Amino acid sequence: MTVQVDQIPDVITTAVVQNGLVAAAKEMSTTLERAAYNPLLFELKDYSAVITDAAGRLWAEAPGLIAFITPLPELIRYGVKKFGPDGFEPDDVIIANDPFTTGTHISDTTTYMPIFTEGSLVGFAATTAHWADIGGKTPGGWCPDSIDVFQEGLRFTHQKLYRAGVPDETLHEVIMSNVRLPETVRGDLEAQVAAIRTGAERVQALCTRYGVDMVRAAMVRACDESERSLRAKIAALPDGEYVAEKLMDHDGVEKDLRRLVRVKLTIDGDRVIADFTGSSPRTAGPINLPFQASVGAINAALKSVLAPTDAANDGELRVLEVIAPEDSVVNPSPPAPCDSYGYVFHSLLECGLEALSHIAPERCPAGSGNVFGCFIFRLDPQYGDPFIMIDATTVGWGGRPTGDGPNLIFLLDGDTPNVPGEVIETRYPLRMTRHAWKTDVIGHGMHRGGPGLVREFEMLGDKMFAQAAMENHHSPPAGIDGGLDAPPQQIVMWVGSDREQVFHERFAFVGPLDRGERLRTEAGGGGGWGNPAKREPERVLDDLRNEFVTLEVARETYRVAARAVGDDYELDLAETERLRAEV
Amino acid sequence: MSAGAGHRLAVDVGGTFIDYVLLDEQTGEIVVDKEPAFKDEVARQLFVGYDRTAATASASVGRMIHGSTLAINTILQESGAPVGVITTRGFRDVLEIGRGNRVDIYDFFYDPPAALVPRRLRREVTERSGPDGDVILPLDLAELEQEAAFLVRNGVEAIAICFFHAYANPGHERQARDWLAERHPGVFVSCSHEVANEWREYERTSSVVLNAYVMPSVGRYLSDIETGLADRLFAGDFAIMQSNGGVMPPAVAKQVPLRTLESGPAGGVVGAQALAQALGEPNVICSDVGGTSFDVALVHDGSVVERYKTEVNKRPVLAPTADVISIGAGGGSIAWIDDRNALRVGPTSAGARPGPACFGFGGDRPTVTDCNLLLGRLDPDNFLGRRMTLDTAAAEAAVAGVAEQIGMSVLETAGGVIRLAETNMVYAIRQMTVERGHDPRSFVLLAYGGGGGLFASALMEDLEIPRAIVPGNSAVFSAWGLLFADYREDAWVTKVLQVTEDSREEFAGLVSSVADEAREKLAQHGIAGGGETVTARADVRFAGQEHTLIVPIRLGLDRDELAARLKEDFADRHRAQYGQADVTRDLEIVTIRATATATLPHPQLRRTAPGAAAEPRSTREVWFTSAGGRVETAIWSREDLSPGAALEGPAVIEEWNATTLVNPGQTARIDDFENIVISTKGREAP
Repeated sequence: MTVQVDQIPDVITTAVVQNGLVAAAKEMSTTLERAAYNPLLFELKDYSAVITDAAGRLWAEAPGLIAFITPLPELIRYGVKKFGPDGFEPDDVIIANDPFTTGTHISDTTTYMPIFTEGSLVGFAATTAHWADIGGKTPGGWCPDSIDVFQEGLRFTHQKLYRAGVPDETLHEVIMSNVRLPETVRGDLEAQVAAIRTGAERVQALCTRYGVDMVRAAMVRACDESERSLRAKIAALPDGEYVAEKLMDHDGVEKDLRRLVRVKLTIDGDRVIADFTGSSPRTAGPINLPFQASVGAINAALKSVLAPTDAANDGELRVLEVIAPEDSVVNPSPPAPCDSYGYVFHSLLECGLEALSHIAPERCPAGSGNVFGCFIFRLDPQYGDPFIMIDATTVGWGGRPTGDGPNLIFLLDGDTPNVPGEVIETRYPLRMTRHAWKTDVIGHGMHRGGPGLVREFEMLGDKMFAQAAMENHHSPPAGIDGGLDAPPQQIVMWVGSDREQVFHERFAFVGPLDRGERLRTEAGGGGGWGNPAKREPERVLDDLRNEFVTLEVARETYRVAARAVGDDYELDLAETERLRAEV
Repeated sequence: MSAGAGHRLAVDVGGTFIDYVLLDEQTGEIVVDKEPAFKDEVARQLFVGYDRTAATASASVGRMIHGSTLAINTILQESGAPVGVITTRGFRDVLEIGRGNRVDIYDFFYDPPAALVPRRLRREVTERSGPDGDVILPLDLAELEQEAAFLVRNGVEAIAICFFHAYANPGHERQARDWLAERHPGVFVSCSHEVANEWREYERTSSVVLNAYVMPSVGRYLSDIETGLADRLFAGDFAIMQSNGGVMPPAVAKQVPLRTLESGPAGGVVGAQALAQALGEPNVICSDVGGTSFDVALVHDGSVVERYKTEVNKRPVLAPTADVISIGAGGGSIAWIDDRNALRVGPTSAGARPGPACFGFGGDRPTVTDCNLLLGRLDPDNFLGRRMTLDTAAAEAAVAGVAEQIGMSVLETAGGVIRLAETNMVYAIRQMTVERGHDPRSFVLLAYGGGGGLFASALMEDLEIPRAIVPGNSAVFSAWGLLFADYREDAWVTKVLQVTEDSREEFAGLVSSVADEAREKLAQHGIAGGGETVTARADVRFAGQEHTLIVPIRLGLDRDELAARLKEDFADRHRAQYGQADVTRDLEIVTIRATATATLPHPQLRRTAPGAAAEPRSTREVWFTSAGGRVETAIWSREDLSPGAALEGPAVIEEWNATTLVNPGQTARIDDFENIVISTKGREAP
């Protein structure tokens, strides 16, 4: 892009334009959330909205999921290549969910729209949203055991859903006759289209106000400044190579193979190179993470350490160079299965954080729980209205240099709140019987990991099935600097009956659960930070009183002696001193 | 209680000052005063100013309306009472679990709000209701006694009760409350359904806990005020401002003090509504430029636009409040350069101390006020009625630091800071209007607060709003607004119900029962002589959607008309908001809300006769964003301008505590109520 000399925007115009684009992206996000029909969107906010320039470079995002930041602009660049710069008309809407161009999984469907002013293409508005269903062998996405992308659902490779504003009815019909909840999907798709139209209108208004050339030039400047700022921060870090790796539980198909994710992070002046060499080859099961999202995971780690609250733009995405082995678990080729991509994303992100921790230890927490969630569904209408309840669960996060870890939605997600029990009970034939901390999975430490979480449901109807997303069975959230690993999660089916069964690994289609039977999800805790025997005795007393630890754990792990007095506790400091001296 | 004539006094307690506005209802005369608000001594301090103000009155004060920040400050400073929580078995951790999201998604050190009540003081009892209100397990009173005894033994002053689906069946909460009141009379008790009768257990628990947390301190404070009034033989009506813009008696405020949380902004919005009504303006954008923030709210079709959920320190509160968007762009907001070399304004504020550099209290960082001074918009020798001289050199030195970093002149930088503050305000107004399906061009912009008049002319140009109004005494407009508040009670209930042939009867029944409940709650105030009105609305969506739009419901329609109207009105709103509405889908109501208002006699806004023609007092160079630089500008004194006066921009109108700009190409006139009305040429309303 060439900028004429008389159009170099000043600092103020640059700020005004950039703020305007961020406001536009946020408005897209609000529109999508409020008009959606699918709890994954309006409760879990499993979506993102971005605005890019005409070449697909990121101008502004309204963040929902961190997994989408790098893949979305990449996907638009693919579309620009497919259709050519002259291949778009005003009010076209393009649909794409092919993991090999979107970077995540087939459930994440993107719609995007070219933005024209004065007859020329200025950019694109795009939203990605997790659909309630996309067909495939299991409902709702996150299939744990698909063996290729064709089993995972209906794939769109950048088709025009609207041509110049006219809907392609055939394509709409094909979609609605291939998904399990067509009414919900139709509503969500309308919401996505409404959102990108809103974004396009706002960008057009900004161009009318400041002139197309000025908007472009302002964003060239804003992105350059972001890049310069990030590079300056990188240049201030010590040069060197830092390696981190994680073993995965398994790929869901070849269950006896432990797959490896490996990152070598090189800081060289103001450059960062992430080399994934040594990561396992493409797997038989669906944990493969397409390349764009692998880059995104490391970008997210860098951003969290160096610029967590700055508005993201293309400038921030330029500093990272990536080497990824061909056809590997972090760079799979079609038709690799990818539906459970999130576990590797999480592990890669934690590897990135761990590698950076060698450089910036004050910014590195202990390990946190990986993706965890449970679907409860009933698809056979003879037992009642079909439904798919997707419960993504908060997990324990690692202890931090600054204090105890919290319990929050897993790293992969972001501004994604849990679904309230009172909403679940109104919407589905389920009764929530418990929503509580799980304290026996805490990774103890000087700053302990966050607690796990129990959610228990009683079935109010027959013939319900469950599917679960989980990891961490063989690779628990790791303690750091003497902190302990956190025991992992589990799901209990047919709770309290003679059929009771405990699952430590992900599964598809287990059931049926009938009226009165219960299912309990038990999310794991976070890893501990630092030696637990260094935790202040008063904080251990506090944990005793609030039932986060038992007297036995206090004594054995924290080396703190206390005794029960009535319904309270008191410390025995002399005995504590003696216990701690033993270590 | 009676609404006697005589004098009406508004007392608005803010963070640093108590504002007093005394109105003589016979003559319409207003007396304005101020008193510093010292922490922990507010009740005593309040009466210092009260006595001074009341002494100017020719007759006794017949009504005192009080806006208080005690509840919100208690929460912000976490200085409330020790609270215990009793929940349904299985759910004591809901308060601490929260919703599990992180707002800054790349911040892996995000901290959720700490639970206000530690786990040990959150206790569970056996009981359960379903979403339809059916009782699944009865309340176990033996367990209740055991847990309550534990809490009392451990020193709680207040107990919050939150049971699952209590909005659908409050029976168990009431039973527990009555039982606790009998056994533990010294303990404050609050039930979730009394504070927020709607679904989402975390938000409802958070609300009732916050209410219990402030109950003891607000209760004691209000008792102190009542005692002080009794000592002064005050025989009038003492009313407490609520977040929703209505007032309530002290007895209700002591029970649900959470309702006073946003009483500050509510005063301004109620004043705006009253002024709008007098002027015949149905749609008003209320823009309040204070020292630390810019607050924007709406009056639409004559009613204050509300929302039903807010947050304080990341903690959710379910309660009807004026819908206010607040951004860090006030007079004290600091301009700075971030590490991307981008100019930023706010959210950090220099506050009252050290304040802007030009105040000379030791501030050395450039603020919006410093920039306004350098741009000629403020007169250094005529600020706050000459109580204060502004230090231009200090302002220049502060702005120069930033100017150097971005390689611009001091004046250009000051202009840039103002332009950035203006655009941030514009986006806040867009969020409030366009994102909610309203066209800002069909509104009038009402500008108040100390800095309202400095920004109105630029905001109206950016948003193509035809007219802006800067009222008299605009700096104390929020306190003035309290004078117009009516008694108000809200009732609401969550009931997810698809509106079909079969359910119309149930829908109509729900509407009338919620309306009756609001009416009954109001009747308990014992207000005599107020004209009572009840309005209703519902949160409605297409079946399958989650988010709702608020649709007014007309009371008194039969069930078929009610359903038909609802459908039509909802489709209109959906189209306005999202550009489409699939009318083949069924409607679903989620929450029905009713408001009962006992209208008090409002002070009459008085028209003033035209006075003599006026001339500007001087001229000086003033910088205007739209002119892109400084232009020779006429300086008017507001006291010279009487109704009928008209002038052309560029102009500055100065009064003792506020300054108003009129851009080149705009005109200003003084209306019959002594408001400044600014119009843009060629865009005047018919």
